[in-house]
Amino acid sequence: MNKKKLSISLLFALLCFAFSASAQQPAATSAKAPLAGKYTEKGADTCIKCHDEDADYPVFDIFKTKHGTRGDKRSPFAGLQCEACHGPGVAGAEAMQETLDRGGHVGRVRPGQERPPILNFGSKSDEPVELQNSMCLSCHETGDHISWKGSVHEDADIACAKCHTIHTVADRVLERETQPEVCLDCHKTQRIEFQKPSHHPVRTGQMACSECHAPHGSAADRSLIKPTLNETCYSCHAEKRGPFLWEHAPVTENCSLCHAPHGSIHAPLLEKRTGWLCQQCHSQAGHPSVELSPAGLPGGSPSPFLLGDSCLNCHIQVHGSNHPSGVKLMR
Amino acid sequence: MMSRQKMKKTAASVFTLTVLAAHFSAALAEEFITDTGEHIDITDWECKFCEFEEGFSGEVELGAGYVSDDSYKFGEYTGLNEEGAFPVGNASIRYRDDIDADYLNLSLRDAGLDSRSLRIEGGRQGTYDAFLFYQEIPHFLSDTAMTPYQGNGSENLSLPAAWVAAGSTAGMTALNASLRDVDLEVERKRFGVGLRFIPTAPWKYEVAVRRDTREGKMGTSGAFFFRGMNLVEPIDYETDQVDVSAAYRGKDWQATLHYYGSFFSNDNDSLIWQNAFAPIVPGATFGQRAQAPDNQFHQLQATAAYEITDATRLSGDIAVGRMTQDEDFLPATTNPNLNAGVLPANSLDGEVDTLTANLKVHSRPTDRLRVKGAWGYSDRDNNTPQNAYTWVSTDAFVNAPRTNLPYSFTRQEFKLDADYRIDNFTRLGAGFEHENIERTYLEAEETDEDTIWGELKVRARQNMDMTVKIARAERDVSDYQPVAEIDPDQNPLLRKYNMADRTRHSVRVIANASPSQRATVGVSFDFSTDEYTDSTVGLTDARDAAVSIDAGVQLTEDTSLHAFAGFERIRSRQSGSSIFAAPDWEARNDDTVNTAGIGARHTLIEDKLDIGADYILMRATGEISVDGSDFPDLENDRDTIKLYANYRLKETMSLHLAYWYEDYDVQNWSVDQVNPDTLPGVLTFGEENESYDVNVVTLSVRYKF
Repeated sequence: MNKKKLSISLLFALLCFAFSASAQQPAATSAKAPLAGKYTEKGADTCIKCHDEDADYPVFDIFKTKHGTRGDKRSPFAGLQCEACHGPGVAGAEAMQETLDRGGHVGRVRPGQERPPILNFGSKSDEPVELQNSMCLSCHETGDHISWKGSVHEDADIACAKCHTIHTVADRVLERETQPEVCLDCHKTQRIEFQKPSHHPVRTGQMACSECHAPHGSAADRSLIKPTLNETCYSCHAEKRGPFLWEHAPVTENCSLCHAPHGSIHAPLLEKRTGWLCQQCHSQAGHPSVELSPAGLPGGSPSPFLLGDSCLNCHIQVHGSNHPSGVKLMR
Repeated sequence: MMSRQKMKKTAASVFTLTVLAAHFSAALAEEFITDTGEHIDITDWECKFCEFEEGFSGEVELGAGYVSDDSYKFGEYTGLNEEGAFPVGNASIRYRDDIDADYLNLSLRDAGLDSRSLRIEGGRQGTYDAFLFYQEIPHFLSDTAMTPYQGNGSENLSLPAAWVAAGSTAGMTALNASLRDVDLEVERKRFGVGLRFIPTAPWKYEVAVRRDTREGKMGTSGAFFFRGMNLVEPIDYETDQVDVSAAYRGKDWQATLHYYGSFFSNDNDSLIWQNAFAPIVPGATFGQRAQAPDNQFHQLQATAAYEITDATRLSGDIAVGRMTQDEDFLPATTNPNLNAGVLPANSLDGEVDTLTANLKVHSRPTDRLRVKGAWGYSDRDNNTPQNAYTWVSTDAFVNAPRTNLPYSFTRQEFKLDADYRIDNFTRLGAGFEHENIERTYLEAEETDEDTIWGELKVRARQNMDMTVKIARAERDVSDYQPVAEIDPDQNPLLRKYNMADRTRHSVRVIANASPSQRATVGVSFDFSTDEYTDSTVGLTDARDAAVSIDAGVQLTEDTSLHAFAGFERIRSRQSGSSIFAAPDWEARNDDTVNTAGIGARHTLIEDKLDIGADYILMRATGEISVDGSDFPDLENDRDTIKLYANYRLKETMSLHLAYWYEDYDVQNWSVDQVNPDTLPGVLTFGEENESYDVNVVTLSVRYKF
C-alpha cells in the first residue's frame, strides 16, 4: 500500500509541477501555428475566386459552419481566413497563376502531378501529418482533445482531416448516424462484428462509436470515455453498477470477460453460448460441471442446462443480487 | 511541397496572434501582430466573394413508408417492427448570424418512428451555447413469447385460478389453455440539456444533465430449487447523469476539472411470482427476487497536460469516485413456514471507492524518434460491510449463514515504447508493457502480465502504406487457490481464464492503397492465439482471426462503386470434469462470420436524378462440439438490399424513393422446437427464432431552403 501511496503522491506532485510551472504563462486568446511565407493581399478572395461552387473541390459550405463565422473571434474567418489554416498563400496563388498562364490544369491533382505549395489536409495530402494536425491543435488542443498527443490515433499518424471534413455543412464524423461509417472505414474487424445478430444499435444509427470511445485519446484502455471499461458501460447500464450484496466477481472486474461489446452471434453480446461460458469458470461437483451434449436437445432428453436460458433458467442474477438469500444468484 | 526546414520552423513556432483592431469595420486598418513581431496587414481582406450565411436554412423531409411484415428483430432498434404504414419525418434547420455569431441548429430524425431523436443547439458562438436533446431507443426483444402468468409488467405475477401445479411441465394440464402472448420490449427515452460558457478565451465551462428512462418488459427467470420458469420482469428505470466541467487552455498547458454524478433509481424493488410447479416444501408457493437497487456514483476527475519543451509533453489525470447503494433489503424468504432469523442489517450500506490515475510522458527528442512512457493505476476499493446472512435457498430451505465477499481490485500498468523513423518511408517501433492486478477474495490474489511488441510501418509513396504489428504477452499467476469461502468448492484443477497463466500471440496487418485519386483499397488482418498453459479444467486455448478488405472507386464523374468483404473466426477449447477430478470432457466452440457488401451510386440525369443500390450479406455460424459430438450448427443468414432514387423537382425540392428488403434465416437450437413444456423442469416462453422476411418502402419529399 505504501507503494501505491507513493505512486499517487508522485502523480500529484507532477501535476502540481505542471500547473505551477505554467502559472505565470500568459493565457493565449487565439493561438495559431503559422507557416513561413507571405500572406496574400486580399485574403480569402484570392482563394475562392477559383474554389467556387463549381470547382472540383468546392469550399463554400464552410460559410455555413463555425469556422466561417466572423463574429467569433476564435474563428478562422475572423482572422486570417483561409490562410489561418492553410498558411500563407502567396506562393500557392502565384504557382497556380503561372500554371494557368501556361495553359495548364489547376483542378484535381493528377497522379504524379506536384501539388501547389499550399498546406492541404487529409489522407491524400503530401504534408506531414504532424504539421497538418498542428494547425488544428493550435486552436483545438483543449477539453476532450488534451489527450490527443500520445493517443492511439496520433501514434498511428492519423490526420485530423482523415476523419473530419471542414468544408461541409455536416461533418459526417460528428453525426450519430454517419459516424460509424467513418470509424469502420479503418476499424474493419469491428465492421464485421457489428454485422452480427447481437449488437449495440450502432449499425442501425441509434448509437455512435463516440458514446463509448474517445477518438482524441483518453487515459483509459481502448480510448474509452470513462476512466475504466466498467464505468463506461455503467453510463448506459447503471442498474448493473451496484454495489450488490452478492457480487459476481467477473462482473465487477471487467464486463468484457463475458460480453463482446461490438457484436456476437450469442445474445446478449456473449462471448459464447451460456452453458459453456459459465463452465469456463464453474466446475463445482454436481450440475455446474456436467457434460453438455446434443442428447440434451429436443428429441432427446431436453436439458435445462442447454435450452431456454440455460444456466440463467435458475441463476438469473448474474450481474449481482441484493437479496439476502441471493448468494447463488437465484434471488 | 513544403521544405523540411519550413516544417521545423512551423513546429517550433507556435505563437499568439493578437487582433489589434475591430474585425468588421472596413474603415479601420486591421492588423495581426505575432509574438515574433510579424505584422500581417489584413485591411484589404474584404472577403467580398465569401458567402457568409445569414438567417435560416436547412432541409425538411416529409413522407410515408410501409413495412410489409411484423418482425421484432428487423425493427429491433429502429421501430420498424410492425406491419403497416409509418410517417417519414426528418429535418435539419440552421440559423446563423455571421456578425453577432448567433446560431441555432436543429436536427430531427425519424420523427415517425419509435427511434425518433431531436437535438437543438444554439447560442452565441465563442461566448455561450446551450443544447437540448431527446432520443428514443426501442429495444424489441421478442414477439413470440407465451406465458400463463397474469400481471405481466407488474411486480406481482400470478397464475390463473384454474392452474394445475405439477412436478413437471407435462403435468400442468391447464398450461395450453392459460398461455397468453406477451411482447418483450424496453424503450429507452433520453432527455438532456446543457450549457457551455466561455467567459474569457482560455476558459470554458460546461454543465450538462441527462435523464434516461427505460420502461417495458424483459424476459427473466425464477426458480424453486431445480424447477425454473421464464417470467416477465417489469422495467421502470430512471438514471440521471450530471456533468460539470471547467477547462483551461494556456499556451503550454491545458487542464480540465470534471465532476460526474450518476443517480440510478428503480421503481420496482422486487418481483414476486407464483410457483407454477407443485411446491417442493410447504409454503414454497411464491418466490420473490430482488430487482436492481437504487444506486449512485460520484466522481471528480482532473486532467492536465504540459508541454515541458516543444518536443516533450507530460499529461496525467486522476479520478476519485464513490459508488453507493443502500436499498432496503427484502426479507430472506416469503415462505411463512421458514424462519431465517433476523437480518444482520436492514440494508447493505454498500460503498466502493474508486481511484484511477494516469501519468504519461510523450517525447520526440529528435525528428526521427518518438518515445512514450506511461503509468496507470486503477483501484476499486470495496468498503461494503461484511455480515453473515442466513440464506434461504429458493424460498424452500434454510441454509447456514454465508458472509458476503466485497471484491476489491487494484490494477497497475507500466508502458514504455518508442518508434524510430528509419527514412521517409519506414518507421520501426517497439514497446514493453507490464500489468499487475491484485484481487481480494478470489483465487489468484495477484497476476502479472508482460507484453512486448514490435511494429513496422512502411509508406511506399504517398498513396500506399502498410503497418505490421506483432505482440507476445505472458501472464503469470503466482499462486492460485480455490476460495475457502465459496461453497461448494471449485475443482482445484480449474483455472478461471482471467486469472490463469496465459501466453498470447497476436499479429495485425493493415494496408491501404490509393492506386489513383479515384480509387482506394484497404486490407486488414488480425490474428491472435491464447494458450492457457496451466489450465487443466476451464478454458484451455482460444484463437481469433479476422480478415477484411474494402475498395472504392469513382468510375466516372457520375458513377462510383464500393465493396467490402470480411471474415472472422473465433475458436476456443475448454475442458471440464463431471466427476470433480481430472477432465473427462472437452468442448470446442467455433464461430464463423462472413460478411460482404457491394454498392453503387450513379447520377442518371445530371442535376435531376440520382440512384443508388447496396447489397449486404452476413452469414454467421456457430459450431459446438463436445467430445466429438456435434451440436446442430447455429445459423444466422441475412441478406439486405437497399435501393434509392432521388429526383430533383426543382432547385429546392426533390422526391426520394427508397426500398429496403431484408431476409433473415435463423437456426437456433436454444429455442427451435422448444415449447413451453418441452423441458420437464423449466416452464419456458416457447419462443420461435427471429427469422424474418421484410420489405420496406418509403416515399418522401425533401425541401431545401
